[in-house]
Amino acid sequence: MQQNIARDKASTVSESRNDKLIGYLQQHLPKLVLAPSFAVILMFVYGFILWTVYLSFSASKMLPNYTWVGLEQWSRLWNTLTWQISLQNLFIFSVLYIGLCIVIGLSLAILLDQKIRLEGGLRTLYLYPMALSFIVTGTAWKWFLNPGLGLERTMHEWGFVDFKFDWLINSDMAIYTVVIAGVWQASGFIMAMFLAGLRGIDNEILKAAQIDGAPAWKIYTRIIIPQLGPVFLSAFVVLLHLAIKSFDLVIALTGGGPGNATSLPATFMYSYSFTRNQIGVGASSAVFMLMIIASIMVPYIYSEIKGGKK
Amino acid sequence: MSFLNIENVNKHYFDVEVLKSINIEINKGDFLVLVGPSGCGKSTLLNMIAGLDEISGGDISIDGQSMAGVHPSKRDIAMVFQSYALYPNMSVAKNISFGLEMRKVPKVERDKAVQKVAKMLQMEQLLDRKPSQLSGGQRQRVAMGRALVREPRVFLFDEPLSNLDAKLRVDMRTEIKQLHQRLGATIVYVTHDQIEAMTLATKIAVMNAGIVQQFGSPEEIYDNPVNTFVAGFMGSPSMNLIQAKVCKVEDKLCFEVATADQDRPLLLPIERDQQALVSYLNRNVTLGLRPETITDPGSANRSEGQIHEADLMVKVTEPTGADMFVVTQLGGTEVVARMRSRCGALAGQSCRFAFDVSRNLAFDGDTGDRIQ
Ligand SMILES: Nc1ncnc2c1ncn2[C@@H]1O[C@H](COP(=O)(O)OP(=O)(O)O)[C@@H](O)[C@H]1O
Ligand SMILES: [Mg+2]
Repeated sequence: MQQNIARDKASTVSESRNDKLIGYLQQHLPKLVLAPSFAVILMFVYGFILWTVYLSFSASKMLPNYTWVGLEQWSRLWNTLTWQISLQNLFIFSVLYIGLCIVIGLSLAILLDQKIRLEGGLRTLYLYPMALSFIVTGTAWKWFLNPGLGLERTMHEWGFVDFKFDWLINSDMAIYTVVIAGVWQASGFIMAMFLAGLRGIDNEILKAAQIDGAPAWKIYTRIIIPQLGPVFLSAFVVLLHLAIKSFDLVIALTGGGPGNATSLPATFMYSYSFTRNQIGVGASSAVFMLMIIASIMVPYIYSEIKGGKK
Repeated sequence: MSFLNIENVNKHYFDVEVLKSINIEINKGDFLVLVGPSGCGKSTLLNMIAGLDEISGGDISIDGQSMAGVHPSKRDIAMVFQSYALYPNMSVAKNISFGLEMRKVPKVERDKAVQKVAKMLQMEQLLDRKPSQLSGGQRQRVAMGRALVREPRVFLFDEPLSNLDAKLRVDMRTEIKQLHQRLGATIVYVTHDQIEAMTLATKIAVMNAGIVQQFGSPEEIYDNPVNTFVAGFMGSPSMNLIQAKVCKVEDKLCFEVATADQDRPLLLPIERDQQALVSYLNRNVTLGLRPETITDPGSANRSEGQIHEADLMVKVTEPTGADMFVVTQLGGTEVVARMRSRCGALAGQSCRFAFDVSRNLAFDGDTGDRIQ
């Protein structure tokens, strides 16, 4: 009798231990499942960021070399003419690219918002370029803008013999061809963002504005566009990081040339790290690009998180 | 000459008829309430008066002037929307003055008008805020201010109180009524709440399924509903609509109503619309009894009504404090009576009910139309 009770006790103890284990598993299973991918990201994204930062202070040339040289690579970077041109190009490119994409995207969205027929079709048409890879866009525009093959030759064949459009091979103008191709690709996407924003505006507000006697363009400038602030911000952030990361578009369209006329920080980084045996300089340019992006993304993400909590 | 005239107005979206030959006329200073269940076309009609929706057929005229093809801003109307529709990027003052600015009223006059309206609605301290910094009730006030500042010929309200909590709704209702009396404005007001309709209106149009079921003063609508829809929709608690048979007892027309006790139907003498009901002898009709016409014998109004008393089984009692709603079974459905709170009725026991038979209404059993 006494033994029986003792055995019962023992079995309930082991049962409750089992329950504890299951409870522990249930509570921690998600963490356990996520742990490997978390470790991989930690290593390959953040680990390599730190590694790159270290390399930018090292004597690395063709291969990584961990001798600490302080700011030597950084000063070399800033004394490189190509880097200065790259930054200047980046400035021209991003200002025009972001500005034109937003202006064109917003205008297209407003036109499409006029409840026209075929809207679905048109919207897809404008969105298609974004589905293409930058390489395809770059190559297509290279052919189109090539004086011997594309637009210029077609115009000559049509009889406009004096027509001249050689921006692609003109080192002063080549950067603008990158702008044209980039804008062509992204403005449809920006249009879709603005269209979603326009559709989100309360219909009754527009009715109220109509009764208040505002003409259509004033309804846009005074009431609708001021409400699109968040869309402008999102479009700006998306476009800016696309601009800073622009690499394949330039490689396919101009290859950074003529000369280094269309070099951008991303192409600079690639060529110094992997073809010119200057890993240290390449790493410092990469870190600098990270700093620009971070200085914009961090406040943006921070404000998004804060806004989300509210 | 009517001030706002809605003549034979139709509306269809593609094949779907939303409004069918609407005819409404009101005078200057009237408070017209369009009331009906959700989806019956009230907002559509209001939007057509405003010019925001196109009319498919018929005509709307204001002050003798046809509004066909007149832009909303040229109709001299102002509208308050259910969502308030404030411009989120503008301050309260800007919201109120935007319409004046678009009409090129000089800034000095605009500011004066804004101040006046802010004072009238007691919101001077809110003028610099953005709509997002206001409570629901305050936004409601701004929306009203935006309408008032223009001093239009007609005010249009689309369910302006439905987003407010119960207490605020009652307060704002009173305030709107006072505004109407003070300004003598012509108002068209949409609501699905029949209490709002009864308290505010000088004229009510009860709508259902795109048709104006009845148009008249609140008293007409309440005392003389033209069909079972209007009868059931207006009034709270709503009118008891029960099956009854018209019969003759000792040469007197009566409604015969089944009770819980099968052998003893309730006989209510017919005192109203007798001539019309003669032809319904031995036929089924729908009998309409307002809860307040069924009371305890002590509170029955013997000087004005004609009282018929009967003992009936009480199913449920619902005390509200001021009154007690007593539920019994009649004609196969539950019937609500409104008694004094201390009348002594107890659930499961018999109780004496007093019917004011002079206020009983009869409706055709098939069509639901009033027999009168
Ligand atoms: N743009 C539209 N297209 C098709 N049907 C509509 C449209 N607007 C409203 N309706 C229909 O018209 C009817 C009346 O709508 P509405 O006037 O908003 O009703 P209420 O304001 O009485 O609730 C509804 O059945 C609705 O589905
Ligand atoms: Mg509505």
